[in-house]
Amino acid sequence: MSLRLILSCAMLAGVLGPAQTASAAQGPLAMPAARIPAVPAQAPQGTAVAPAVRAPAAPCSAPYRIDRTLPNGARWQLCWEMRTIEGLTLNKVVYTPKGNRPVSVLRSTALAQIHVPYDSGTPRYHDIGALGQSAIPLLAADCPGGERREQSVCVTTRPRGHAYLKSGYEEPSTSAQGHDLVVFAAFQVGWYTYLVEWAFSDDGAITPRVGATGSLAGSTTTAGHGWPIGVGSRDFEESHSHNVFWRLDFDIQGKAGDVVEQYDFSGTRTAKRKLKRTTFTKEAKALNRRTRWWRVVDRGVRNADGHPVSWELNNSDSSQYRGPAGEAFTRADVYVTDYRSCERLATVNPAPRCAGSVDRYVNGERLTDPVLWVNVGYHHVPRDEDADPMPTHWQGFRITPRDVTAKNPH
Amino acid sequence: MGRQRIVMALAGAGAVVVVGAALLLPGGQGSQAAEAAPREPVPGDPLTGAEIARAGDIASATSRAHMAAGRVNLLYVERDDGKDAEERRRAEAYLYDYATDRLIVRTVDLGRGTVVKESVTRGVQPPPSKAEEVRAAELLLADPQYGTGVREAYTRAGGGQLRSASDLGLRGLIFTPGQENGPRRCATHRCVRLFVRLPGGTWLDTSRIVVDLSAKKIHTLEW
Ligand SMILES: [Cu+2]
Repeated sequence: MSLRLILSCAMLAGVLGPAQTASAAQGPLAMPAARIPAVPAQAPQGTAVAPAVRAPAAPCSAPYRIDRTLPNGARWQLCWEMRTIEGLTLNKVVYTPKGNRPVSVLRSTALAQIHVPYDSGTPRYHDIGALGQSAIPLLAADCPGGERREQSVCVTTRPRGHAYLKSGYEEPSTSAQGHDLVVFAAFQVGWYTYLVEWAFSDDGAITPRVGATGSLAGSTTTAGHGWPIGVGSRDFEESHSHNVFWRLDFDIQGKAGDVVEQYDFSGTRTAKRKLKRTTFTKEAKALNRRTRWWRVVDRGVRNADGHPVSWELNNSDSSQYRGPAGEAFTRADVYVTDYRSCERLATVNPAPRCAGSVDRYVNGERLTDPVLWVNVGYHHVPRDEDADPMPTHWQGFRITPRDVTAKNPH
Repeated sequence: MGRQRIVMALAGAGAVVVVGAALLLPGGQGSQAAEAAPREPVPGDPLTGAEIARAGDIASATSRAHMAAGRVNLLYVERDDGKDAEERRRAEAYLYDYATDRLIVRTVDLGRGTVVKESVTRGVQPPPSKAEEVRAAELLLADPQYGTGVREAYTRAGGGQLRSASDLGLRGLIFTPGQENGPRRCATHRCVRLFVRLPGGTWLDTSRIVVDLSAKKIHTLEW
């Protein structure tokens, strides 16, 4: 088994086995990145384990390259592409915690659908048309403090509030303000403008989210399916859902070794809670639960404590729309599928000789290179304030590092 | 701007115009193509404008006659970002044959300059291209009732006389009958639902209108 080491503290001796984890944990609390003299020979191609003697060739050239070190020393590197169908797509996402080695997180992520069924039953839009053709040229004011790339992509940094605040014991407290690297684009789909955004935080978290703004669609309905906007109570603007799907191809230091686990904590109305881990060996559909979360873990990649590096997926604040039988793709919150290049969108998949929707991608295949599909719904009941322009309503979820570093590196 | 509304009577469908505050945007940008000076792309780069043109040429070579006759259209060219071919520059050209209702996807290896894979299928509809959005609007304008309605709405919105479909802000989505009742033949035909934007940032409610590009017909959905 090849251990692809990320953290270098206490690892100069070479391969770190489980028996060494205790002593590794005693290592210095903060160490600069050091060179690992010997790298396990079988490390799959493309992993970032080789000593940083020569920098690997950038996976994309300057206009498409994003490389930002945030004020606390955390660094994010990625490539962007405006694809004709999916629109803004982020590739080769690499995170480098301060004083640590780079770890690749996502090979690719993009929107996979925005399904918009109206409460009366019609219309039912699948809003991903050719998103790349619908990108809105951004003005300087649309990208505050940042730079616009090829008119429609904004790369900027913004504050995210307290990274931490710890009171001192007879000394002043210590605190830090956090920052996000933000990459976003805006798309015009009918009356709506969709803001498609990824925030890469200086604590290693990633927050994909979509904001809906622009104008209400103006479809009127009866009182049972809408809300009166406009003078009096004659026109009922129709309520609807925005069911947003993301596709996330995690590759932790390359595609080999990635496994998806689901965590539950059993025990209701009892004093005790017990951790339950379910490892997905085959393609799966999963539902949200209050304390449930998932992680993509690579046991071949360890931090200085010897713990496997993983990325946790949680905090999905979804309205959990469940549609009729013909919309089976709405009936789970997270799908785990084995990578297939033709499986691009969660519904109305545009590829020939491929299934048409994400629920059908789950067909019992053994997982060797998992791709996660996250479905976050928002039920939009219009209100007077929505007209016009409509204030942005956001929906998204969180991806957080779990054991990428042995301690808070910042 | 407030929530001013103008209700427009269009034959066959109740149409509503919402007055928004945003600017009237042009039909969007083919933003996949780099606008910068030509440079040698690295494998992870988007396709350059030159690569898109070349891939389209190579992929269209065997369809020239049908394309000239308007039977086959090149929709767009998308980079093949498959994991198994990461080091190769490959492009996928989407073509559609309206006479046989077949989607043809040709994978072009830009290094070799040849088509290395072709997939042909029925019933799979990638999103409408910009040219198809214009074509759908032309069919809408050619419809006696809808055409008059759109022209009148355009004039009323301050656009003067509508000269051509390309004066309209257009956005299209594929319509497939499924949970929504609609023409059965849209299961295999190329059917488009059009969003039409007028001067001043107003939108025409066209949500019940489906344009069948294969049959060159307009349908009105019954709700
Ligand atoms: Cu909404």
